[in-house]
Amino acid sequence: MSELSPPPRLLDFVVDRLEVGIFAVDAEMKVVLWNHFMAMHSGHEPGRVIGRNLFECFPELPRVWLEKKIRNVFLLKNYAFTSWEQRPYLFHFQHNRPVTGGVDAIQQSCTFLPVKGAGDSVEHVCVSLYDFTDTAIFHGQLSHAIADLQREKAEQRRLIEKLEEAQNQLLQSEKLASIGQLAAGVAHEINNPVGFVNSNFGALERYVLDLFRVIDALDGPDGLAGAQAIRQQIDYAFLKEDIVALFKESKDGLDRVKRIVQDLRDFSRVDSVQAWQKANLQTCLDTTLNVATNEIKHRADVVKAYGQIPEVDCLPSQLNQVFLNLMVNAAQAMNQRGTLTLATGCEGDGVWVSISDTGSGIAPENLNRIFDPFFTTKPVGKGTGLGLSVSYNIIAKHNGRIEP
Amino acid sequence: MLTDDRKEALQEIANIGMGQAGASIAQVLGEFVQLSIPRILIVPPAEVPTTLARTVEESTVSAVRQAFYSDMRGEALVIFGQHRCNDLADLIGYEADLDHAAEVELLLDLSNILVGACLGGIAEQLNLAIGFSAPSLMADAIPLSRLLQDNPVPWTAALLVEVDFSLEKRSFACNLVILMPEAEIERLMRAVDLFLESL
Ligand SMILES: Nc1ncnc2c1ncn2[C@@H]1O[C@H](COP(=O)(O)OP(=O)(O)OP(=O)(O)O)[C@@H](O)[C@H]1O
Ligand SMILES: [Mg+2]
Repeated sequence: MSELSPPPRLLDFVVDRLEVGIFAVDAEMKVVLWNHFMAMHSGHEPGRVIGRNLFECFPELPRVWLEKKIRNVFLLKNYAFTSWEQRPYLFHFQHNRPVTGGVDAIQQSCTFLPVKGAGDSVEHVCVSLYDFTDTAIFHGQLSHAIADLQREKAEQRRLIEKLEEAQNQLLQSEKLASIGQLAAGVAHEINNPVGFVNSNFGALERYVLDLFRVIDALDGPDGLAGAQAIRQQIDYAFLKEDIVALFKESKDGLDRVKRIVQDLRDFSRVDSVQAWQKANLQTCLDTTLNVATNEIKHRADVVKAYGQIPEVDCLPSQLNQVFLNLMVNAAQAMNQRGTLTLATGCEGDGVWVSISDTGSGIAPENLNRIFDPFFTTKPVGKGTGLGLSVSYNIIAKHNGRIEP
Repeated sequence: MLTDDRKEALQEIANIGMGQAGASIAQVLGEFVQLSIPRILIVPPAEVPTTLARTVEESTVSAVRQAFYSDMRGEALVIFGQHRCNDLADLIGYEADLDHAAEVELLLDLSNILVGACLGGIAEQLNLAIGFSAPSLMADAIPLSRLLQDNPVPWTAALLVEVDFSLEKRSFACNLVILMPEAEIERLMRAVDLFLESL
């Protein structure tokens, strides 16, 4: 022993009293060292263990595996390890945090150290056993916290999905509501042509009866002369002209009905699977204008200032909904007859649509609230305050901007 | 840094070291182990992943890292394929059915044996002291491409010593990679120089 070595008693004391389990076995698995930590926790004093086979003293040890492990250290002359993460303990030692712990034994990580004797062969394997219980408990708490966070995250994701769903439903209901609002106007728009087509048919019916009278008179007692007399009587020249006019007018009326029904159908399509498609926004504006014409024509003249715009990828039925909201708002803002201007154009690689009116304008203090859901300045029953909020979401979905 | 002389010497040392390692591992496992001749090269860390990708055949890998210290300092990686080393369980004293913890423990255990034997072999040739930290799981069945993405090598240069292991009678293969930072490579080279002088 060199002079620099610590006194042997000190070394013995430290090995014995260190707060680490230390024991050693020889090649026969006989225990040759058993420190205080091991004695305290196992309840086996060194006197009862030293000189005896480790596995006879502790039959509960996983013998096959552990013996192989120790033998490998003898053979390979190299360290071996166990970790509490995979194998919580070698020895079942009660730990001193039974209440707060939530683990049932001291959690142990072990190092198996080859101890060479004279020459190169390993004479003993020394095992040091470290108490990792605090780490394990902390680790457990951390895992719990992480699991909680993950659960919360999943819950939040679910809520966001629900919110999106609710928003979609709101959008659909707003649309249905505006279709309801429009229904009266559209009915009126249909009623008008149907009305005059109907009265045209009354006239046409009379004209046809007159024509029958002329033709029937040919077979009558006065023959050709009789027919000519009746033709005179019914003012055939006027009748001939009027029939053509009535037919044309009726056809126009029916076309109008057909178009408005078509537009209404386009407009009101509440797509369950909304299909993104290329569409021309001017066509969308025209369709919507047509459907809303009854709300607008009594209040405003419509001016179109369409620029050249390319088709864009969009959900046309949803953009129609936006345009309708803006047109109806514009119409509602005009107390006296005014002008509704629809304009379109390109800017950069985007397109813009502007819908302006000559009405009251928006009070500056309301400017940052108009997109809030349920913000309205209109009397109860007239406005729900959802129009612009829904429009805002639709435009956001299109990666666009909507601004007053 | 890796002159031809040094490389040759290091190769020789590694060959002998691995030979000894193979013999002692065979003793431990009770079966004949095949080791490839170690491939030695110095690469910038950025190239470590591509270099590994060339030699590791499996696309899903598990990996264990183990640090070594003292006269040689660095990290050893042992890279296993999809079947890890479950087929060797009984050779290391495990019962048939492995749960996840036992699978990982086996992985760590076997890695420790391989790393200890191989590095111990090299250190012994060079008369260097070497110690080992406990091995830890670095990758638990992840794509190979993510292995070093998630665990980048922070050094300016890495000495790669690659060895492939396989067992004749069992389906098992793995790659051992020794990584050392630049300063440590220089230290190792000086030890190689000393070794050459002592011949
Ligand atoms: N063109 C406009 N001119 C003046 N004020 C407008 C105009 N458009 C919107 N506003 C103001 O913004 C508010 C919100 O509009 P929004 O369309 O969201 O709801 P609303 O028209 O009141 O009700 P809803 O559209 O649900 O029937 C309106 O109440 C009005 O005060
Ligand atoms: Mg509105």
